[in-house]
Amino acid sequence: MSANKTYWSGVEELDRTSEFERISSQEFPAERPIDAFLSDERLEKVNTGRRDFLKFMGFSLTAATLAACETPVVKSIPYVNKPEDITPGVANYYASTMYNGSDYASVLVKTREGRPISIKPHAASPLGQVNARVNADVLGLYDSERLQGPVLASKASTWADVDGAAAKAAAVDGRKVVLTNTILSPSLQRAIDGYCAAHSADHVQYDAVGYGAIRQVAREDFGRNEFPSLDFSSAQTVVSLGADFMGTWGEALRYNEAWASRRRPETGAMGKLYAFEANLSLTGSNADHRTMVAPADQGRVAAALLGELTGHAMVSDMNAGLKSAVALAARDLKAAGSKGLVVAGSNDLNIQRLVGAINRALGAFGTTIKWEGNRMFAGDHSALASLTADMNAGKVALLVMHGCNPAYNAPDAEGFIAGLDQVGFSASTALYADETSSRCTASIPTHHWLESWGDLQRASGSVELMQPTISPLFNSREAGESFLAWTGAPQNWNNYVRGTMDAKVWNEGLYAGSMSNNDAVEPAADVSAVSILAPAMAVNETKGGKFQATFYQKVTIGDGQSIGNPMLQETPDPISKVTWDNYVTMSRGDMEDLGLNLHLAEKDPASLVRVTVGNRSVELPAFMQPGQAPGTVGIAIGYGRGASGEAIGRAAYQVGGDGEHLADENGNLMPIGENAFALVGDQSGLPQYVALDVSIESTGETYALACTQMHHTFMGRDSIVKETTLGAFVPEMSAARGEASWNKAMGLGVHADINGDGEINALDKKTLDNFDMWHEHAVDEVGHRWGMAIDLTSCTGCSACVTACHIENNVAVVGKDEVLRHRDMHWMRIDRFYASDWNKERGAEEGLGVVGTYAKMEEPSANPETVHMPMMCQHCSHAPCETVCPVAATTHSNEGMNQMAYNRCIGTRYCANNCPFKVRRFNWFNYNGNSKFQNSNPAQDAMMRLVLNPDVVVRTRGVMEKCSLCVQRTQEGKLAAKKAGQPVVDGAIQTACAEACPTHAITFGDLNDRQSEVRATYDNNRAYHALEEVGIQPNIAYLTKVRNNDKA
Amino acid sequence: MFRLERARKFKAVTQAAKSLILLAILSTGTPAFAGVWDSGDLVKGQALFNANCASCHKVTDEILAAPGLAGISDRWASSEEMMVLWIQDPQAAAETGDPYISSLIDRYVGTYGWMTGQAVSTEDVADIMAYVQNPPLDPSAAGSASGSDCPTIDYSAGQNASQGTLWFLILLTLFLIVALSAASVKRVLKNAVAGSDDETVELDGTYVQRIQLWAWDNRVFVGILSVFIGAYLVVIGYQGLMGIGVYEGYSPSQPIKFIHSVHVCENEIDCQYCHHSADESKHAGIPSTNVCMNCHKAVKTGARYGETEIAKIYDAIGFDAISGTYFDGEGNNGYASPQDSFGGEPVAWNKVHNLPDHVFFSHQQHVEVGGLHCQNCHGDVGKFSVGRIAPVQEINALVDDFPGLIQLSKPTLTMGWCIECHNKAEISFASSGYYEDMHDRLRDDLRGNEELRAFMEDGKATVKELGGWECAKCHY
Repeated sequence: MSANKTYWSGVEELDRTSEFERISSQEFPAERPIDAFLSDERLEKVNTGRRDFLKFMGFSLTAATLAACETPVVKSIPYVNKPEDITPGVANYYASTMYNGSDYASVLVKTREGRPISIKPHAASPLGQVNARVNADVLGLYDSERLQGPVLASKASTWADVDGAAAKAAAVDGRKVVLTNTILSPSLQRAIDGYCAAHSADHVQYDAVGYGAIRQVAREDFGRNEFPSLDFSSAQTVVSLGADFMGTWGEALRYNEAWASRRRPETGAMGKLYAFEANLSLTGSNADHRTMVAPADQGRVAAALLGELTGHAMVSDMNAGLKSAVALAARDLKAAGSKGLVVAGSNDLNIQRLVGAINRALGAFGTTIKWEGNRMFAGDHSALASLTADMNAGKVALLVMHGCNPAYNAPDAEGFIAGLDQVGFSASTALYADETSSRCTASIPTHHWLESWGDLQRASGSVELMQPTISPLFNSREAGESFLAWTGAPQNWNNYVRGTMDAKVWNEGLYAGSMSNNDAVEPAADVSAVSILAPAMAVNETKGGKFQATFYQKVTIGDGQSIGNPMLQETPDPISKVTWDNYVTMSRGDMEDLGLNLHLAEKDPASLVRVTVGNRSVELPAFMQPGQAPGTVGIAIGYGRGASGEAIGRAAYQVGGDGEHLADENGNLMPIGENAFALVGDQSGLPQYVALDVSIESTGETYALACTQMHHTFMGRDSIVKETTLGAFVPEMSAARGEASWNKAMGLGVHADINGDGEINALDKKTLDNFDMWHEHAVDEVGHRWGMAIDLTSCTGCSACVTACHIENNVAVVGKDEVLRHRDMHWMRIDRFYASDWNKERGAEEGLGVVGTYAKMEEPSANPETVHMPMMCQHCSHAPCETVCPVAATTHSNEGMNQMAYNRCIGTRYCANNCPFKVRRFNWFNYNGNSKFQNSNPAQDAMMRLVLNPDVVVRTRGVMEKCSLCVQRTQEGKLAAKKAGQPVVDGAIQTACAEACPTHAITFGDLNDRQSEVRATYDNNRAYHALEEVGIQPNIAYLTKVRNNDKA
Repeated sequence: MFRLERARKFKAVTQAAKSLILLAILSTGTPAFAGVWDSGDLVKGQALFNANCASCHKVTDEILAAPGLAGISDRWASSEEMMVLWIQDPQAAAETGDPYISSLIDRYVGTYGWMTGQAVSTEDVADIMAYVQNPPLDPSAAGSASGSDCPTIDYSAGQNASQGTLWFLILLTLFLIVALSAASVKRVLKNAVAGSDDETVELDGTYVQRIQLWAWDNRVFVGILSVFIGAYLVVIGYQGLMGIGVYEGYSPSQPIKFIHSVHVCENEIDCQYCHHSADESKHAGIPSTNVCMNCHKAVKTGARYGETEIAKIYDAIGFDAISGTYFDGEGNNGYASPQDSFGGEPVAWNKVHNLPDHVFFSHQQHVEVGGLHCQNCHGDVGKFSVGRIAPVQEINALVDDFPGLIQLSKPTLTMGWCIECHNKAEISFASSGYYEDMHDRLRDDLRGNEELRAFMEDGKATVKELGGWECAKCHY
């Protein structure tokens, strides 16, 4: 029934702006700037005559012809001493672990000829999940802007000099501090402890984004100073109060997979997710019930939930809509009992105390909340604040930092920077000469984690290991080794990590990526003595101003440490679909009130607004975000890095249309976006990522935002996305495919009496397989037939598949200017559709008539339901692109793939015009050579091009490209099977996207293998093909999205 | 001899494997070695010998990189077990203190270095001994091309057939320019003389006009000639265009005067001894310098160029030929293993078989799965000097020596040549479980698709029929 919702790909489609109408009628909507070119004044000065022109042409032709006749001499340089485990042309995989302060992932690193080229989840490990930030970090390794050697007093130095200076500095009297992010490595902790003991220094830890309140509540209630381990796989009902646990909050990597395991409708029962939030977060977009709540009201929601559960009225005033939403959530929480879970993203102690009380009332501790001796997020911002005070008072003689960037992300970064000048000797071990490191006495380059030995312990019970996959690229040194050297006990870091470990245990651990240890976790007892009365009163008194702001982390950029990673910059935000930028998300009504531009397009830039919190303000473009609570705005932290032009990666700065970095009037590089950490408030040492009273004003200026979704229109066709509710699904769960009401087989009307009612009318339909204008392709049941099934119920839109695909297939990064022209090269995109609250049934009920109903269906929905739909080449058995190619550059394989021969393509782009999914991408430029992309394309960085996959050709200008279904992997997998003399084992071949998917929404395999998982999924009664009625017979199937949002 | 048997790789066994073998041997008590001298399989032995031993040992008493093996049964008759151990793990054997082994070490190790332990079983040794004791009397009868069959060629490279034509064209152009200039000077002088003598200047027009006049007078001849010249140019042009991308005979010069015939033909080294990844990777692999050192640690004088060329290998890897040890990074010698050497500049070979970037070719697929002879694409390398793209006619002529070799007509290493072979090469469904599965899927075609039945009508399937002509099998 709800399958007839209208989806619109953005507010522009909804409002049918003229720009949208114009663009939707064109495949490549950019206007050719011919007038601008001809009116260029410089043209006047050019005096190239006709004869000169002909001469140039003639010369070029001759030169090109002659050059083509030359036999190029190519060098082939073998190893001098070939390492025994490297065979040129064969990939090696190493188990390792990534930890960057917020993401913690067990991974397998793929190396070719000794260089890491991709990162995939270590499937055998319980910690083996990746997100976009993790698998794109392989580019970070090769960034040539990394610190290339030790720097002392702003001059390139040697390790001996640096060590000497550090030793001298440690001998001085005064407070000595080691400041780090949360250290999870037992060895590094040991080294730091040794250093602190030797020099009577103290160790201060803080996290870029703090979780102090939730830890303090754990301490108060259970006497445990740890971040609770949340088990979403045991949760029946989850209520999220502004916690984006699928995107960036807490250990989002773990939660995604766990929660997806509760979202299999075939089991007949699904977990249910309520979200109360201000921004439309990734979690909110996947919630079954989402309610818009301003930050100031989130405490009230918590109190009201607690009130509903305990039967005491705890909230004085609350509007009726919110009240009923809370009541609904409370009802399901009560029903779930100990299988309920409430999480709050707030770092407000009162809210977290209430949430703790709710979870205790539910009995969630022990089932959905566990104590595992979790060591993540152990930072303490109040210690940082007192350190900053000491620094400014001139009391600090020595400050050594590791893995942190307080000059950028401390709540009082200005104070920290001022204090740093007063410190006798400061040093920072970091990858880049970043905001902090570049201001230190000594900038110490440390290894990238792909170059490092190491051990990491997230929680008790196991230690994950890190092993180098490449020799250090620069003159860097492991941070721990630096601490050992400065302690006066220099030691090789590998030996130090291994300690006295048995070689066999060590090698097995390295192979597995982890080893268990015997740390037992003490059972926790509820020792809570804190009354919830005070917190309840506090949240009731919380009042917000006219505008309130939420400072969130983007799924792609996180806390901003990988801002220089071009792949992450160009990966669209899963919700806004904006690339390369920071912006203020606002609700439609607020933007109309302020007179801001609602509609973005190449020629329609966004309006700039000034957001002021206290005495600090940022100027950012405003972005109309459906689902944004009225009176609230959202600003991503992590941007505005490199305000003083620090070398933190070339992609971290704004780039102009010519590919050069933009500079302000003083010649300084212009950072992308602004630093919202500056707006983060403080509640007695707990940073607050909300501001309850902000003022917003339009500056009257504009700024272009590059958004990827505008040019993909579906014009209200409901055969793109099918969805239903669990209540509608369960009764027809075992219906044959094509029978169930939520996934009816599509039929087309014919002029014959098919149904035998004696009349020829619209009811006379034949199913799709009766219509065909193509010859049968012999793919079904014969040989291989590679196919894919994507479950829209599990897909959260997290975009891990996007980066995995692009790294695997050498997909070009094109930069903001080209994305603005809708020329992004993404092989894999995730279409995000908002649903309208109106449908045909409702229109009929209210007697609006057909036209009126359609008009209503286009009406904006303030709090829309959202669908994330991964979209790539559908590998149609009857592909429309193939029939129009004049040179047969795109053809069909007998394994069911639509294949693209780049060297055959002459670039007519007919195929892209004829593709109903708009998944074909045209190489408008030679992205790896054209100077326009010098600061955005990884292949133009002499180091970063080492990440290119040698098994996939780098496409050149003038050819079409698109998803190949990772044909290099199917070929490799088939070859392995042939050599083994076995049929291809199901699951042995995976595409990059399927492998990376943390929720296992993507299944890939051989459809002709009747026992394969993909076959079963493909034949599932929820499976349908996008745009099925076109008759193109895709090899990609989607599974109807099932929402668990029945209110009854 | 360089038949593609599953060549056992000449790799040093790991220390762990060594100790396991030693343990096994020592704990066996009375092993059944009685058969080492008489139970072996001659054919297997030959393959094993070629793969593992032939690079250093000869079956005669001639010394190659190590002593010849003639008469080995007399020398080891009483201690077979020790011999097997000596082959599998020379160092372990030396530790036993066996007097004969000690004498061997005294005599040879100083000159030739330690033999690398071989990963062969006792049965393998028996096979090898069967071959060593009964070497083929006529080497060519056993498929070997050693001895008189080997061409005594010197290093030669960079032969470019078109260079002669180029020089001819340049000279012709120069000649025409000179001739025309001279004629022009003559005419100017003639007119000048005529003018100064106050005679009527002979208005004979320009050369072009005179040629036109002449051509008109002889128009039949000129017409016929033009037709022939035109046809000639068309043919030349067509051939020229068809030759673009054809590199048959391409054999660039190399930094080391390496001669394949010396290694492959005279010394009978298996192709995959050096190009060892042909069966496990897409690349066959250019041998790394440490592989060269397996033999050249002992072979310090080359057959053609004495010490000069081999010295280049030593420079690359950092080997001191006098002491027979390797240098470390600080210039100290005395290191026994190339893994300890500093490794100077690697040898930058010029690549011979260049495929464009957009072509994916896997040696593994063709060698290991397809079971092709190396010669089917590379020709009889044993007759070459440096690496060279063998013309297709030359390859076709090898069909008698290499049964099953697929004869083709298109120029080597062109796409036409690839797909011609994919059209001809048959797949044996019985060859592997993978193809059996593919076969079942063809046979079980429920819909009775005619197109597919046609694949199977002749009872065989070619690579093309299984999709070998599809773009994305090689281009992605």
